[in-house]
Amino acid sequence: MFRSRVATLGVAALVLAACGANDAAEPKKKTELTLYNDKGAWSKYFEEMGALSRQAIGLGMKPSGYTDSAQYQAFVKASFRTDVKPDLFTWQTGGMLEEIVKQRQVADTTAVWQEAIKAGDLSQDLAPYYTVGGKQYCVPLNVAYWGMFYNKKIFDRYGLKPPATWDDLVGIAETLKKNGVKAFYHTSVLFSFVWFEQLMAGTDPDLYDRLSTGKAKYTDPGVVAVMERWKALIDAGYFINPGDKTDPGDVLKNGKAAMVSFGTWFNTSMTQREMKAGADYGFFVIPNVNPALPKTSMIFESGPLCALAEAADPDASMRYLKWWTTAQAQEKWATTRGDVSANPKVAIADQALGAVTKDAGSGTYRLVNRYFEATPPPVLTAALDGFGAFVTEPGTYKEVLEGIQKAADDYWSTHQ
Amino acid sequence: MSAVLSDRSDRAAGRRAGSARRPLLGRFAHGYVAPAALLVAGLLYAPFLWTAYLSLTRYDGLESPEWVGLRNFARLLGDPALLTSVRNTLIWVAGTMLLPVGVGLLVAVLSYDIRGGAWFRLPFMLPYALSGAGLAVVWSPILSHDGIANRLLGVDTAFLQVAPHNTLAMLLVWTWQQVGVNTLLFVVGLQSIPKEPVEAARIDGASGWRLFRHVIWPLMAPLTAVVVGLALVASLKTFDIVWVMTQGGPGRNSETLAVTMYRDTFVASEYGYGSAVAVLLTVVTGLASYLYLRRQVR
Repeated sequence: MFRSRVATLGVAALVLAACGANDAAEPKKKTELTLYNDKGAWSKYFEEMGALSRQAIGLGMKPSGYTDSAQYQAFVKASFRTDVKPDLFTWQTGGMLEEIVKQRQVADTTAVWQEAIKAGDLSQDLAPYYTVGGKQYCVPLNVAYWGMFYNKKIFDRYGLKPPATWDDLVGIAETLKKNGVKAFYHTSVLFSFVWFEQLMAGTDPDLYDRLSTGKAKYTDPGVVAVMERWKALIDAGYFINPGDKTDPGDVLKNGKAAMVSFGTWFNTSMTQREMKAGADYGFFVIPNVNPALPKTSMIFESGPLCALAEAADPDASMRYLKWWTTAQAQEKWATTRGDVSANPKVAIADQALGAVTKDAGSGTYRLVNRYFEATPPPVLTAALDGFGAFVTEPGTYKEVLEGIQKAADDYWSTHQ
Repeated sequence: MSAVLSDRSDRAAGRRAGSARRPLLGRFAHGYVAPAALLVAGLLYAPFLWTAYLSLTRYDGLESPEWVGLRNFARLLGDPALLTSVRNTLIWVAGTMLLPVGVGLLVAVLSYDIRGGAWFRLPFMLPYALSGAGLAVVWSPILSHDGIANRLLGVDTAFLQVAPHNTLAMLLVWTWQQVGVNTLLFVVGLQSIPKEPVEAARIDGASGWRLFRHVIWPLMAPLTAVVVGLALVASLKTFDIVWVMTQGGPGRNSETLAVTMYRDTFVASEYGYGSAVAVLLTVVTGLASYLYLRRQVR
């Protein structure tokens, strides 16, 4: 009996000692960081970056990719309260970044930004998207300009050229329809907001901005008119079925739809499908619906790469973010994915995307923050559901707008 | 005499050994039970209590939960999405009783006691090998607008988009998978009923529907209670097939209570409100099971 008690005490003492030793340990210096992300399809490119960073700064990186963004966000939020913390993680700018900054969970990167702007690795114009309360947080994982990807072979078959005006674009859709080809891709899931933001920004970008700050209502006549235009396009038969679950990359490649509107990151989908720019597909800037606007509105997004304020090895995480902004890292990151870069020094291989990036940088376009980032999360959730319902049953547009406005009223009543 | 003494001394020794063992066991009994009890408490009771607590708070997963009392439950009452969700869940419950359970019973009765009956039942069993998510992945393209279903039927129906068609379509897919297992359970029930009353009824001239209705069906009652009870609970917590096929959409029109719970919690990051839906779902499932089983066991 005495022996068994002694043995029990001994085991307990060992367990306590082990716990104590763990608690007292110094923060571990890391030689490899884990980058959690919701871009599971990009794992290959992240791994290549990890190999390059190991060579360049002696710090490796391995990705842990999620494909479901809701699950991913829940994991990251839960990690703030547990010991399973990501060294680096992707997130979203706008309301979602503000949320985690408010909780003091994300590391301040003001010094990294200042240095990168000074070195010409980041543009000052990009800083506002990463600024909360006068400080910068995270660095750009990517930037993207939104436009229209089109199937070049289909365009050539019917003698079509990229449009210069909105009427040209509708004319192209009409020609395609007459030839039994669906002009546009749209979906009822997640990216259901794409045509709303495009039509809003091309019709009245000021109203779009006011909507995102709660200074205008979704039931305002200007917004209703945009929904009616969207409905007319759907009713005209220009869109594929919104419930089609075919990957949009395949939709474009197989010619299920002749045009797909997405950010320049969609070029990665083309690269993955071994499609050649200029031969198999092309990219054009979508003309404004309202020709009287002084500049063409272009949807812009930038996704952040962040480190936690209380990372396992804060120095290593910060060193990695700093390296990520450099031309060496960005050259590789942009080239392998066939995408544009946040670093102005990086030459864009794709001619069409290179031209858009250059024009965007020189102020040719009015850059409009993507709806996903511009809209507060609770309003966005209601809007995604609403637009998803609308594209399936376009006649419901008034109810949809009222539903979104209800969520907006709830949100803005406590957030001004 | 010596035998008697020996017997007494053995019993006394046994008592001594027993009395020595019992306190020892008593002293450590809690220790032996503790690992299992801690697992149950930690993995089952604690999350349930935490969810119940969260249902009374506003919590976005980041800031600390803020106590709001019953406000989440009051909000549930006026939430049109929840009403849709309740409607769809009721369709799932009623549909499950009618189709997977009803057809399962029919297949079991028709194939029982006939030559080659097992071969007749086999095709119904095969889909049960698929998981719910796998089932949904396989059927999604079949039911898409340009899928095989539309082509075979020569129609252009948005099976998965317009309510309540989408719920009904998913229910049929669910039936395709579940009929087999219900058939199997009913066949076990049929095999376990005593032969004598059935023989006696046959001798008295009963056959066909009358034999089934008045003799076989009452004898199968205990097993039917289990099959229906399991189907009731499974239909109330329908999630995987809906989440994979429609994600509860479009516009939340195919959500069930379980999907609403997930969506409000993890997609909308309203952990408090999502927990209220979870509590509601638990109460509904518990109450339905209790009322049903109490009626059956009576």
